Amino acid sequence: MSLKTIQAAPGFQDYLPKEYQDLLEDGPFFQQRKVSELGSFKEAIEEHPMCAGCAMTLFIRLVYVGLPSLEHTVICGTAGCGRLAISQGAVPFVYGNYGDTNAVATGLKRGLDIRFKDQPKDVVVMAGDGGLADIGFHAVMHSWFRKEKFTTIMLDNEVYGNTGGQDSGMTQKGMVMKMAPTGKKFEKMDMLGLAKTAGVAYTARISPTNPTRVANTVRKAVLIAREVGPTFIQAYTSCNIEYAIPTPKVMDDAREVEKDRYGYLEYFSDEAKTYWEESEKERKRLRKAEK
Amino acid sequence: MYTVAEIDVEICSSTKCRLCTQFCPEGNTILYDETRGTAYVAVDRCKGCEICVGICDDLAKHHAIKMVPIDQVKDGFEISKVGFKRSLV
Repeated sequence: MSLKTIQAAPGFQDYLPKEYQDLLEDGPFFQQRKVSELGSFKEAIEEHPMCAGCAMTLFIRLVYVGLPSLEHTVICGTAGCGRLAISQGAVPFVYGNYGDTNAVATGLKRGLDIRFKDQPKDVVVMAGDGGLADIGFHAVMHSWFRKEKFTTIMLDNEVYGNTGGQDSGMTQKGMVMKMAPTGKKFEKMDMLGLAKTAGVAYTARISPTNPTRVANTVRKAVLIAREVGPTFIQAYTSCNIEYAIPTPKVMDDAREVEKDRYGYLEYFSDEAKTYWEESEKERKRLRKAEK
Repeated sequence: MYTVAEIDVEICSSTKCRLCTQFCPEGNTILYDETRGTAYVAVDRCKGCEICVGICDDLAKHHAIKMVPIDQVKDGFEISKVGFKRSLV
């Protein structure tokens, strides 16, 4: 795809919505934008109905900056809070039925690879902890066992926020939630351990306390998924409504939780490690050659 | 009545820190004016969560952002009316 295919004929340009024109003139397409440039370019996502001060919204916004080629990306999601924002982005969004997100993404990725042989197309699954660890669990695990080449991003708010605060598999043990009035009886699921066992090429655990790191991690995961195999990011994105965090304290909570139990963690498989080190060397060489 | 963030141009333009633009959960809401070297707020997109106030006060320690009632905002920038601008000057 080139920028020409999304540009309107000159006569019709003025009739397009202002937002569309802005995306063509100052948008994030066909170039890698940086987190430090935020505010100086038109972002691909805006004006969504998610709650004020939601950390998940911040994380999703940073994902859109980190994606290596927005114009060649398809995002796949399912029911949950996240889709309220993701569906407003200027990137194709496929809404899987609850439970089959990673199966839909598998089909999409395989189909795109057959249709576009010379152009890498990225498929990114972005859904909540309920959508991936509970209801979509079987599809997630099997896509990993089959070594499907796409990225899965879990927006882990540790609760079913969209349906009013029921506990999920990713909720901490002992938390009092709706459907768990005496406190959740079971441990939080170890999705990172499961990913490692299933042979995922790159796994990361992250909180949105460092925007540049979020964007870099997403970029790394998508690039490794293109060449090596499945990648997984588990992100802490607190639900300030169900956990009653006052919005000015959302980032303080993220920092506390990060320090306590959600510190930055990444794991490479041997193959992914070799690939990433070599591609980093190549990028450095190209940058030097440019200078 | 609700409040929106307002950025003190004088304080902000002397710092060039841009942290609030990176931590705002809303896209295209805190924008950055390259000419004046200051961040500014699209008042029609601000949901009033005050995350930027915390970032400016505690992390950047510049104290440039305050919450003001929407009816007291003078000449607020509205992105839905005029579209994206690289600079307001």
